Amino acid sequence: MMHRSRVMPLVLLLSAFTLAQQTPPQQPSSQQPSGASQEPASPEKPTPGTESKSPQKNAASTENPPQTTAIHNDVVIRGGTILTVTHGKIDNGSIYIHNGKIAAVGKTVQAPSSATVIDATGKWVMPGIIDSHSHIALDEDVNEATSPITPHMMMKDAFDYNDKKIYHALAGGVTTSLLLHGSANMIGGQAVVIKHKYGLGRDDLLFPGAPQSIKFASGENPKRVYGQRNQLPSTRMGNFEVMRQAFIEAREYMRDWDDYNAKVKKGDKDAKTPKKDLKLEALADVLRGKLLVQIHCYRADEFLTEMAIAKEFGYKVRAFHHALEAYKVADKIAANGVAIATWPDWWGFKYEGWDGIPWNAVISMHKGVRVALKSDSEDVTRRLNQEAGKIIHYGVPEDEALKMITLNPAWIIGVDDRVGSLDVGKDADIGIWNSYPLSSAALVDKVLIDGDVYFDRSLAGLGLTHYKEGQ
Amino acid sequence: MLRKIFVVLALIAASLAQTAKKSNPASETTNATIVLRGGKLLTITHGVIENGVLVMQNGKIAAVGPATSVSVPHDARVIDVTGMTVYPGLIDSETHLGLTEISADQMTNDLVETSDEIMPHMHVYDAFHGETALIPVARINGITNAIVAPASQDTLPGQDAFIQLDGRSAEEMLMVRDVAMPLNFTGRQRRNEGPFQTHKFPSTRMGMAAQLRQAFLDAQDYEQKIAAYEKKKSSGGDEKDKDKEKGGSTPPKRDLKLEALLPYLHGQKPVVLAADEPNDLLTAVDLANEFHLKIILNHLAHSASLLDKVAATGFPVIVGAIYAQPKETERYDAVFKLPAEMAKRGIKIAFASYDAHNVRNLPYAAGYAVGFGLPYDEAIKAITLNPAQMWGVADRLGSLDTGKLANVVVANGDPLDVKTDVKHVFINGAEIPLVSKQTELRDRYWK
Repeated sequence: MMHRSRVMPLVLLLSAFTLAQQTPPQQPSSQQPSGASQEPASPEKPTPGTESKSPQKNAASTENPPQTTAIHNDVVIRGGTILTVTHGKIDNGSIYIHNGKIAAVGKTVQAPSSATVIDATGKWVMPGIIDSHSHIALDEDVNEATSPITPHMMMKDAFDYNDKKIYHALAGGVTTSLLLHGSANMIGGQAVVIKHKYGLGRDDLLFPGAPQSIKFASGENPKRVYGQRNQLPSTRMGNFEVMRQAFIEAREYMRDWDDYNAKVKKGDKDAKTPKKDLKLEALADVLRGKLLVQIHCYRADEFLTEMAIAKEFGYKVRAFHHALEAYKVADKIAANGVAIATWPDWWGFKYEGWDGIPWNAVISMHKGVRVALKSDSEDVTRRLNQEAGKIIHYGVPEDEALKMITLNPAWIIGVDDRVGSLDVGKDADIGIWNSYPLSSAALVDKVLIDGDVYFDRSLAGLGLTHYKEGQ
Repeated sequence: MLRKIFVVLALIAASLAQTAKKSNPASETTNATIVLRGGKLLTITHGVIENGVLVMQNGKIAAVGPATSVSVPHDARVIDVTGMTVYPGLIDSETHLGLTEISADQMTNDLVETSDEIMPHMHVYDAFHGETALIPVARINGITNAIVAPASQDTLPGQDAFIQLDGRSAEEMLMVRDVAMPLNFTGRQRRNEGPFQTHKFPSTRMGMAAQLRQAFLDAQDYEQKIAAYEKKKSSGGDEKDKDKEKGGSTPPKRDLKLEALLPYLHGQKPVVLAADEPNDLLTAVDLANEFHLKIILNHLAHSASLLDKVAATGFPVIVGAIYAQPKETERYDAVFKLPAEMAKRGIKIAFASYDAHNVRNLPYAAGYAVGFGLPYDEAIKAITLNPAQMWGVADRLGSLDTGKLANVVVANGDPLDVKTDVKHVFINGAEIPLVSKQTELRDRYWK
């Protein structure tokens, strides 16, 4: 079953949902919600280049600067229709890439004559797609479902950089993904942010300097997973109480350390060193505002409770994931600056998904919520462009729909100052498409990450440029 | 006495009237003549008509053609569809509509009977819930007809129904009962994995094949016994002694399971044979041929290597499973391009959503296949005329032709594109309100 589920299409995963009730909690269809933004996207007030300052960078990743994967020369993409995301569409435009960064975008660009030219005549050029909710490349180690509170689980420890699903998503135009813990636990593990540089080594795929996110969940999954073992929590009351208890313990832990540090500072040599506790340390990081909180959440009442608990303990919610009922309380979500990462139209697979509607994104957007479309699926991550196209038919303007798979998910992950639009200074993560990307039949021809081509559909074999068979 | 006869006659008349009503579903709503004028008509059978006119009368398409050649009846309601695309209602060749409401809530599921692997006597029509909230969600995106199949955990999970996505009752919506029988041979039917970690027979493909073969043999044997009994009965029982071995003088015990297999063993109805891997496909097709079954293939996600052979058989294929993952060694588009590869070889294909809640997304799978090389005309045929032919309803559905049921969709663009919005849906010539559980929630909260 575990292995089967890897190849099961989305639909089958859904129909297999009930089966999860009898078998151990494999992948309770990870779902998480998220919140709104300071400068919410709205059709009346588009958000041109509002790159919020991202929160605290992951200490680990800054200590450990990623290797530059290639020494790039200069590259020019010439002749395509460029969808910049932040400053409109440029017909027959060009992009100059220098050292992996976008150095110029416009009708014409100045570039050295030695630059490699990619002819994009007749093609469409857009930023790499960003999937803010994925569980690929974790070798099925998605849920440490042995306790409802596991904030010290690091998804990086399970990251399987050779997973072909990274390639499959790349071939669908995805360049960055947030790989999250599953939704079995009220407080799950800490995510890893990757770039889809398939074929390179593990550390080359880690998004350098990306902030650390942590996954929370709520609702049916935790209560089902623990409830069927007759453990706490088996209700939503239990869910939230387990969470509050954890934060109370984390506060005490922080106080112990504060007391100890104060004593040491005063020169007290007999001060007893408190025990280092990974779990409480991770929760303390939530309370210290060091982690972006990504919450799997469906129901309107639960968004409100989650935001109230966040307020009570003094942390911020970055985004509600899934968030199928966001449209019911969108104004409140917007007021809290929380974003949502949702599907365009997935619904009805469980009771808390029963009121999901395909107008969730458009209503939430109109009420000022920053909306991202995500996959939560090894299938859908390959065609998020189609998902964005679908949302147009449900009323989202085309430029906002594009933002929902680029800049908005970048904000959720906290890397919107680096990726998500075609702006000077940003990473040259770019998809070149054979037709208007937000369509049923559009295919990505080439994908560049940091200015280097990683996927080229015209190549024989897998279409990969950095991958060797048998690697 | 006379009075008694009168009462009987009256009863007969009443029941006849009822029958007539039944056979003409939604008759009350289809009397009005509706004309769609000015649209681009995708007729499927006779090309595209720009600036066309389509007349719907008494639930049927009464006329279709260029505006210059079709006259508009004077009492008709005329809808100006200039700039719009008009096409036949879409047909989804495998759904679970009416068999589930909330997937995770077992009490709302009637998907498959897993107590045994051979369950051909399970009839979808016995469970089909016509009032499901999922049907309006599907039809307002232009899906007007669908196969409802049991889920695939059994080798023979039951018999499909072909439905119309409108009607006042389940009875009206069930257009063809027992239209086909799924035969699943993907390995998932083995009772040794997933939910079936029971290690009961059959836990291997050998077991599945043997069990299936035995079931067909039992059905043949059952039929012979019945035939022998009938023969004996009609010949007056003189040959009692001679026929003793074949069944004696008492009728064989009626066996619904074996009885259900007979129309399929006679090739009267199609068996929908699902396999993904080449080895499974060969095993299952060999077995089906052994019993001379009429075959429609299903899935074939990883059987690209056998497509020439498939083409040679002439079997049509439901190829909706294009979102299945490629195998470890395959190129990313190995499954996406299957429909194109099949069409290239002349294989008749149809798409299916294999879904219930998101049946509405059926045309996008066809559109995606176009991206990977499927000719556009083949793609649209694969959700209209091809399935109508495969399910034996092409006399009534699948194209914009005079005399067919007026299942017609009007949209503001290419039916296969994700951005397109459906503006009108007609089923049996009656306009379907573009309302669902979801639009009601939208309207309540979008203020």
